[in-house]
Amino acid sequence: MSDIPEMPVPEPSPETEAFWAAAREERLLVPRCDACGFNWFPPALACPRCASEHYSWVEASGRGTVFTFTVYHRLYDGAFKNKIPYVVAVIELEEGPRLISNVVGIAPEKVRCDMAVQVVFDSRRDGIKVPQFVPIEK
Amino acid sequence: MRRALDDAGLKVSDIDGIISRGPDDIYTHHQAMGRRLGINATYSTSLDNGGASQCVAVGLAVMAIDAGLCTTVLCGYGRDSWSRTHASQDAHLQAALVPQDQRPHEFAPEYGYFGAVGMHALAARRHMHEYGTTREHFAQVAITFREHALRNPDAVMKHPLSRDEYFAARFIAEPYGLYDCSLLSDGAGAVIVTSTERARDLRAPPVLIKGFGAFNNLRGWIADRNMIETAARRSGEAAYRMAGLGPEQIDTAQIYDCFTGWVIAQLEDYGFCAKGEGGPFVASGALRLDGQLPANTSGGQLSEAHVEGMLQIVEAVRQLRHTYSPDRQVEGAETALVSGHGGTLVCHSTLVLGACT
Repeated sequence: MSDIPEMPVPEPSPETEAFWAAAREERLLVPRCDACGFNWFPPALACPRCASEHYSWVEASGRGTVFTFTVYHRLYDGAFKNKIPYVVAVIELEEGPRLISNVVGIAPEKVRCDMAVQVVFDSRRDGIKVPQFVPIEK
Repeated sequence: MRRALDDAGLKVSDIDGIISRGPDDIYTHHQAMGRRLGINATYSTSLDNGGASQCVAVGLAVMAIDAGLCTTVLCGYGRDSWSRTHASQDAHLQAALVPQDQRPHEFAPEYGYFGAVGMHALAARRHMHEYGTTREHFAQVAITFREHALRNPDAVMKHPLSRDEYFAARFIAEPYGLYDCSLLSDGAGAVIVTSTERARDLRAPPVLIKGFGAFNNLRGWIADRNMIETAARRSGEAAYRMAGLGPEQIDTAQIYDCFTGWVIAQLEDYGFCAKGEGGPFVASGALRLDGQLPANTSGGQLSEAHVEGMLQIVEAVRQLRHTYSPDRQVEGAETALVSGHGGTLVCHSTLVLGACT
């Protein structure tokens, strides 16, 4: 349907450019503090645990669990017209940090808290890719 | 503002402090207030803690008076949310509530993560998962506050809410449906804070500010256990400590009811019941006018009007003055707790108020 707007893409900040550049290559990066080893998210220019400004980007396993989720029925952005109902979730990565994402590849009514999930990447315009999560088959 | 001044029997020129807040996109709100009142102030500012601001304003007024910076402070809030979103067919106006620069540019829009309903729905879902809280419990909050609204001629909602209607309503962001969500309202409210000594000479009986507290989970909404164990706990502990009172001595609570489940979580964190027992607590009828803890006796933001917590302070004052007829009055109310919550869902504030005897 041509009247549906294209899916939104992130507008990176200087703090998150590396994250989104890696996502284009289907790699999920998190900042890790060089001083104390803490992993955090969302990216920021200093470690929120020890305030060190020295950190490295490390590749996350892409595995995590659904801390919590909600199923959107109301349309806030026309781009999601064919997605409703869709799942927005807080994903807790194995490495510790949490991030907002979608759980896809499963009926919304089957999503559960603490469910194990794995990252996949959703292609948007201009080669931009957005990390989403699918259940890990048991 | 005019009604608060009349109530106290004060003139505009008696006001020497203003602590206020308006819609999110109104910069320097207190300056607009002073200009309209035609007064200067020895102390004035506007706050940006969202729905936590109104209880913060009262606490800040006490501190400013105590520090000798001013004597009589007008604390007020007003907004035109309903007009902005419903007065025309243009739904895009809703987005205008949040200025472009303040909207998230990543880690939200690309996932379709918008609005306070979805953010709070995440908290509600986890509460259900950990504690067995159900939508039946949420319904009890919505239905009880609606019953209170029916006794309040100023309330926006005029019809009873049945359990069937609650469950038949459309979902907004599961587990929250239409009646779990507070109203969009045009509204305003104001209170005047002054010293106890001065207040005793004024027209209306004063209400004592016995304690106030705040706690802000600045590490973020999705961090730690912030959406499960709310900042009401630390905020409430500070207010109880200052007041020398505990939850068992509170006669009525006016809880920031932006969403039904958030009422349940706050009741637990204020110590009115054990953590995780908020669902059964509300299902027991505790929040009704004749219950263990009559709450949101004006109908609250779910059924009276959503004026970012300001009307909860006003309602607590009226209950403590025993201004109502028996069908609305909390019998023998001597103490009240008021909560505020907002910002990016991380700011919390609490007042403990007492009748002046």
